Amino acid sequence: MSAFGKREREALLAPILANNPIGVQVLGICSALAITTRMDKAFVMTMGVLLVTMLANVAVSLVRNHTPGSIRIIVQLSIIASLVIVFDQILKATLYELSLELSVFVGLIITNCIVMGRAEGYAMQNPPLASALDGIGNGLGYGLVLMLTAFIRELLGAGKVFGFVVLPLAKDGGWYVPNGMMLIAPSGLFIIAGLIWLLKTLKPELQDKD
Amino acid sequence: MSALERLLEKAGRAFEPGRPLARFHALFEATDTFIMTPPSVTRGASHVRDALDLKRMMTIVVIAMLPCIFMAMYNTGLQANLALDPAKAASLEGWRHDVMRLAGMGYSPGSVAACLFHGSLYFLPLYIVTLAAGGFWEVLFAVVRRHEVNEGFLVTSMIYPLILPATLPLWQAALGISFGVVVAKEVFGGTGMNFVNPALAARAFVFFAYPADISGDKVWTAIPPGAAVDGFSGATLLGEMRLLARPFGEQGYSWMNAFVGLEPGSLGETSALACLAGAAVLIATGIGSWRIMVGAVAGTAAMAIVFNAIGSQTNHWYAVPFWWHMVLGGWAFGVAFMATDPVTAPFTDKGRLIYGFLIGVLVVLIRVVNPAYPEAVMLAILFMNVMAPLIDFGFVKANINRRARRAGGHGQA
Amino acid sequence: MARLESPRYTFLFATAVCVVCALMVSVAAVSLQPRQKANARLYMEKNVLVAAGLVKPGQDVTIKEVEKYFEKDVSARLVDLASGELLPADKADARSYDQRGARSDPATSRVAPANTAGVGRLPRYGVAYFVMKGGQPEQVVIALEGLGMWGTVYGFMSLDRDGRTVRGLTYYDQKETPGLGGEIGNPAWQALWKGRRAYDDQGIPRLTVIKGQAGAPDKDPLRVDGMSGATITSNAITRLTQFWLSDDGYGKFLRRFREKGAG
Repeated sequence: MSAFGKREREALLAPILANNPIGVQVLGICSALAITTRMDKAFVMTMGVLLVTMLANVAVSLVRNHTPGSIRIIVQLSIIASLVIVFDQILKATLYELSLELSVFVGLIITNCIVMGRAEGYAMQNPPLASALDGIGNGLGYGLVLMLTAFIRELLGAGKVFGFVVLPLAKDGGWYVPNGMMLIAPSGLFIIAGLIWLLKTLKPELQDKD
Repeated sequence: MSALERLLEKAGRAFEPGRPLARFHALFEATDTFIMTPPSVTRGASHVRDALDLKRMMTIVVIAMLPCIFMAMYNTGLQANLALDPAKAASLEGWRHDVMRLAGMGYSPGSVAACLFHGSLYFLPLYIVTLAAGGFWEVLFAVVRRHEVNEGFLVTSMIYPLILPATLPLWQAALGISFGVVVAKEVFGGTGMNFVNPALAARAFVFFAYPADISGDKVWTAIPPGAAVDGFSGATLLGEMRLLARPFGEQGYSWMNAFVGLEPGSLGETSALACLAGAAVLIATGIGSWRIMVGAVAGTAAMAIVFNAIGSQTNHWYAVPFWWHMVLGGWAFGVAFMATDPVTAPFTDKGRLIYGFLIGVLVVLIRVVNPAYPEAVMLAILFMNVMAPLIDFGFVKANINRRARRAGGHGQA
Repeated sequence: MARLESPRYTFLFATAVCVVCALMVSVAAVSLQPRQKANARLYMEKNVLVAAGLVKPGQDVTIKEVEKYFEKDVSARLVDLASGELLPADKADARSYDQRGARSDPATSRVAPANTAGVGRLPRYGVAYFVMKGGQPEQVVIALEGLGMWGTVYGFMSLDRDGRTVRGLTYYDQKETPGLGGEIGNPAWQALWKGRRAYDDQGIPRLTVIKGQAGAPDKDPLRVDGMSGATITSNAITRLTQFWLSDDGYGKFLRRFREKGAG
């Protein structure tokens, strides 16, 4: 068996669209509402979830055959929490101004259902390489929805994409009147709900069976 | 059979199943039943629980709103004419003022006709845009889903412009009603399925999306600040009273003025008197629930009295008596026409009392304590809309339990 | 596997996981702390430079550049707010002084006198930055804070050598409503303060954010344009500005600065 077989490809690709953690499994919505007002914030958050999920998956997978079942959740949580703290520390040391706005939500990665879900649901049964790819895949799937939402919110709410002015604002001499609702959390819900609805309409096999 | 009837019948055949225009049957049906008495009353699972035709019910609601519509046009014109510096009238620009000059109406605040005419130039465009934008979505969904265009939109489209400021840009009004119709109603299956009032959802969208155009003191009077008389303040009574540093008793406003509603504010909301007349029509015809209205009055009074009793050194809103709360902002309009929306209110009688009561409590709570949103009626009703099924559930469940206990008790005896 | 479920093994495994995780976290925290502290300081000092007009808002500034400013043109000092006297420069490191921390600590602060600015506690020392030119102070930057509509807002205000004329303003930490009160973070609004007078002719802080538009700074020096639809934030800014310019805030220090300069 080659190192990169069908299982590994599945692990990496499936969560991006077909089994998207937000769109299909409806996990990790809370953070997606809070930090999608700007694309740079969403990007950093994506990287955080991606790295933490990947490393936590690898770590959990490495010790999966040595972990007592009675304390396995606590073990997973300790690993994830430590990784999140490290990520937060790195963020504060490198991207300080972003970390001021993101810090609370970075801490909340610990409780992000995606990370826990993949550690318990995948890494506990699979070898490290596949687990790492599964973590990357889920991070990418999460990031895809996040970035799309942030794109819409930043464009309509501030006329910018990644901080660059695309629609010049009326108050700065342009023509675009920004939609203030895009800057508050409910709009994130409308957009994500819309994306979930779109995904399920395009792929009817994903709809819940009654 | 009149000629019109014959024409409609003839045209109608092209829309029957199997004919080329079958897909657009909804459009024909809407036109047909709008002009003619419909051949059948609403069937099946509508939210109307008796034989009363949905269309007639909606018509009565619109009739009940007529005093508010009149006041909307008169008061908007009056406020604009009062604020206008006569010396600057000739320099006003824009199509409205071209029309005014063409009609030779003048800007006299003393003339009812001049005020009505001036105000209608603000109300009618908002209304037409609402009808066009909201109607577009209604028809689109009706055509795609192959069902009939529902009359519910007649009321929604009437309420919506009445709760907007006169100066709201028309494109924002169109975006708002689109959101209200699509997200608050059609996504959930159309009239009767919506869980919040579409007109309120539409206003909430505009409120949060373009706050600068729907709050503050520049937006309520339809006169550019440059053309106003010196010392003119365009603030609503609600906004103005809130910011005064003097205790409430010393502010010296006239309750009667606020009740009649000749003051700046959203188009149709300022006159509690007009809303009272509308409420009377709704109660007399049994279309608006008196329980909800009574509940709201009781809730407002109770909460205001609690705040009066607590008192506060720094927040003068604690001292505002309940009869003032009821004439300020959108209280009267919201309670009469939006809280009573049968789709989004509870169905149980006791539930309606509680629902109204909690709306009253929330309005006073938000107005007094929250720093950001002086106008709490919209938020209170939307919040209670969401809670309505829960209230119903509670009462139905309690009823089932009570009867089960009774039945059980008898069984053992 | 029976071995995995024995209490002894479970205990040992848990201990091992804890040790490894704790090690990882502490190494990261300890090794990155100097950089984080430097970043926090850089952020504050950058905003001081923005208020003083030396750096444009939104401009990226490296630690090196900030250091260069602070070596040459800018000096941070601590002010005893009650007396208005400067603390000797060698007695305290003003650049690492944490005013927010000091204000919350009962040992270094006191309950603020009754005020409408939402200032609950006052630190004993406030930080002030002198911007020098040719050995003479050209501007002085003071720190502002107070209750906005949704929470505390933090900013810096720069005053001219005359101790009266506003040279610049920035609010760098605020949670006001985006698009309304949040406009206090907008450099375009902040620029409107330039050239206004912090005090009237009697020396009373009267600079006010009004409703609507104010005139040009030379004609209408005591008033600043309000933000439309944000009366509450506007009033809050008025109150906190007047508080920090009054004798309860930096007032005594600024009077002393007018008379004696930075000495």
